[in-house]
Amino acid sequence: MFPTDFELYKPYIVTGLALGGVYALSGVGIVVLYRATGVLNLAFGAIGAMGALISWTLIEHTSFPDWASYLVCIAFGGLVTFAYGVIFGPPLARRDPLVKAMGTVGLTLILLGLMSYFWPPKSRSMFLPTSDWRYYIGFAGVDITWTQITSLVFGVFVTLGVGAFLRYTKLGTAMRALADDREITSTLGVPVRRVEAAAWLGSGLIAGAAGLLLSDLVSLDAVNLTYLVFASLAAALIARLQSLVVTLLAGIVVGLCTALLTPILLWPSPSYSLSGYRYAAPFVIAIITLLFLARRRVVSVSRTEH
Amino acid sequence: MRAVVIGVLLLFVLLGLPALLSTYWIKILTATTIFAVVALGLNLLYGRVGLVSLGQIGLLVVGSWIAARLFFLTNLPFPVVLLLAGLFTGAVGTLIGLPALRLSGLHLALITLMFAGMISIVVPTVNFPNGGSGFLGHTESSLGSLAVRRPSIAHDDDAFFRYAVIVAVVMFLVALAHVSSKIGRAWAVIRQSEPAALAAGVNITLYKLYAFALASFMTGVAGGLLAADQGKLYSYQFKTIDSVTLLAVVLIGGIFSVWGAVVAGVLQKLLPALLNDWFDFFRENPDFLFVLFGIGVLQVLVTAPEGIVTQFPKDMRNLGRLILKPFRRRSGPAEGSP
Repeated sequence: MFPTDFELYKPYIVTGLALGGVYALSGVGIVVLYRATGVLNLAFGAIGAMGALISWTLIEHTSFPDWASYLVCIAFGGLVTFAYGVIFGPPLARRDPLVKAMGTVGLTLILLGLMSYFWPPKSRSMFLPTSDWRYYIGFAGVDITWTQITSLVFGVFVTLGVGAFLRYTKLGTAMRALADDREITSTLGVPVRRVEAAAWLGSGLIAGAAGLLLSDLVSLDAVNLTYLVFASLAAALIARLQSLVVTLLAGIVVGLCTALLTPILLWPSPSYSLSGYRYAAPFVIAIITLLFLARRRVVSVSRTEH
Repeated sequence: MRAVVIGVLLLFVLLGLPALLSTYWIKILTATTIFAVVALGLNLLYGRVGLVSLGQIGLLVVGSWIAARLFFLTNLPFPVVLLLAGLFTGAVGTLIGLPALRLSGLHLALITLMFAGMISIVVPTVNFPNGGSGFLGHTESSLGSLAVRRPSIAHDDDAFFRYAVIVAVVMFLVALAHVSSKIGRAWAVIRQSEPAALAAGVNITLYKLYAFALASFMTGVAGGLLAADQGKLYSYQFKTIDSVTLLAVVLIGGIFSVWGAVVAGVLQKLLPALLNDWFDFFRENPDFLFVLFGIGVLQVLVTAPEGIVTQFPKDMRNLGRLILKPFRRRSGPAEGSP
C-alpha cells in the first residue's frame, strides 16, 4: 500500500517538522487570543500574508535594510491586530463567539481586497537569509536549512514562553482570569480592556512572524497564506482552544501529515498523481477532531443580544 | 396591499425586464436570482436559527455536480432533477452538519468552512460532468464534451431567466411557510435560548438539523439551476472565498427578513457587474469589492444588525423627516415644541 523505503520519507519529515512548527506557532497565537478575549481570529493568515507582502516590497523595491523589513512584517501583524482589537473588541465583547469570529471574517475580506489591489496576483518569492545556510545532517542523510530549524525551535519556544507567561506573570494571570469570566475579572479591578489589548498585540506579533516564516517555507501568495489559517485552526481545535502544549503537538502532527502525504499519494504511479489531495489533510484532521468532540452533547448558554 | 406590490414587481421582473435588457444583463440577473436562493438558505439558517455556515458555496458545487450528473445520466424532466439535486444536497448537508450541530454554532461555522476548503481541493481533480463516461462523467476532450440541457420550455436566455425567477419564488414561499409554522416558532425559541428551548420540550438537534437540511436543499436546487444556466461548469468558477463573501452579503442584506436574501443576491452578482460597467477602477481591480464587503460586515455587526433591508427604509424615513422638519415647523410651530 505505502512505499516502505524509509529513505523516501526523510526529506518530507524535515519539511513537515518545519511546517508543523509554524502551524503550532499560529495555533498558539489563535488559542491565546481566544482564551483571553473569546475571539477566534479567522484573519490570522491574512494578517501574516499582508505583513509578508509589505516586507517583500520593502526588500525588492526600496533600499530598506533586509533585517528591518522582516521586523516590519512582524510589527505590521501586531499593529493591525491591535488596532482591530481596540476598535472592534469592546463593542463585540458581550456577543457570542460566533459573532466575534464573523467580525474577523470582515477583517479578512478587507485585507484580501487590499492585497489584491496593491499586489495583483503574480509569482513572488520570499527568501529569508536563513534559507542560505544549509546543513547536511550526516546520520539522517538529509539537507536542512536554518529557516526550517528556526521554524520548529521558534514554535516550541513561543509555546513554552507563552505558557510560562500566562502561568507566572501578573498580566498572564489577568488573561487567564479574563478567559474564565470577564465580568468578575473587571469587578476585581483588572483593567480588562488593557489586558485584552495586550492579548491582541501579542497574538498579532505571532501572526506576523508566522506569516514571514510561511512565506519562505510555502509560498508568498496572498490567498494561499490566508488559507493556511486552516491548518493552524485544526491544531487549535484539537487542543479544544485551551491547551497550549496540545496545540504545539497537534500543529507538528498536522504539519507532518501534510508533508508525509506527498510521497504516499505519489506512490501508486507518479503519472496519476493524487498529491493534490495532500492539502486536504488539515481539513480532514479538523473535521475528524470535531466529530470526536461531538461525542458529548453541549447546550450553549451564550449571552447573545439578538 | 403588500401582496399587490410584490405581485406587480414580480410581473415586471418576469415580463418587463427580459424585454428591456440585453442578453448580457439577463444572464447577470439569472445569476443574481440563483444566488438569491443560495442566500435564502443562509438567511434562514442565521436569521431564524442562529446558525452560520461558511460552506454554502461548497454545497452549491455539490448541488450543481449532482444535478449535472443526473442530467447526463437520466432523461428525467427538469423539475424532477432539480428536486433530486436538492434532496441529495440536503442529505450531504445533513451529514456534514450532524456532528457540528451537537456542538456550538461556532463549531458549525468552522466545520462548514473546512468542508468548503476541502471541496475547493477536490473539485479541480474530480471536475464537473460534461457527458463523459464512468462515475465522474467527465471527459477532457473538448469535442466530446456536452452542455447541461435546459428545460424544454426555457431554452433561450430570457425564458430561462423567467424559469429561474419562478423557481426562486417557490423557494421563497417555502421559506415563508416554514417561518410562520410550528417549525419557525421552534427555530425562534432555539435562537433566543437553547436552555429555554430544551425546557419547553423542543428537540434542538432535530430542528437545527432540519434547518440545515432545508438550507442545503435550497442550495442544491440553486446548483441545479446554475448547472443548466452555465451549460458547462468549471472548477475555477467556484472559489472558497465566495462562501465568505456570501456570508458577508447575507449579513449586509439583512437576516431578519427573508427579503434580505434578494438584496444579498443583488450584492453578490449584480453589484460587481454594475461596478464593472460604471468604473474603470473596479474593472481593473474586481476584488477590491471585498474591502467594501468587509467594512459592511463590521458595520452590520457593530451598529446595524438588521442589515440593509430593514435599515434602509428606516434611514429613508428618518431622512424624510429631517428634510420635512423645517417645513413642518413653519406651518405649525405648536406641533414640534415639547
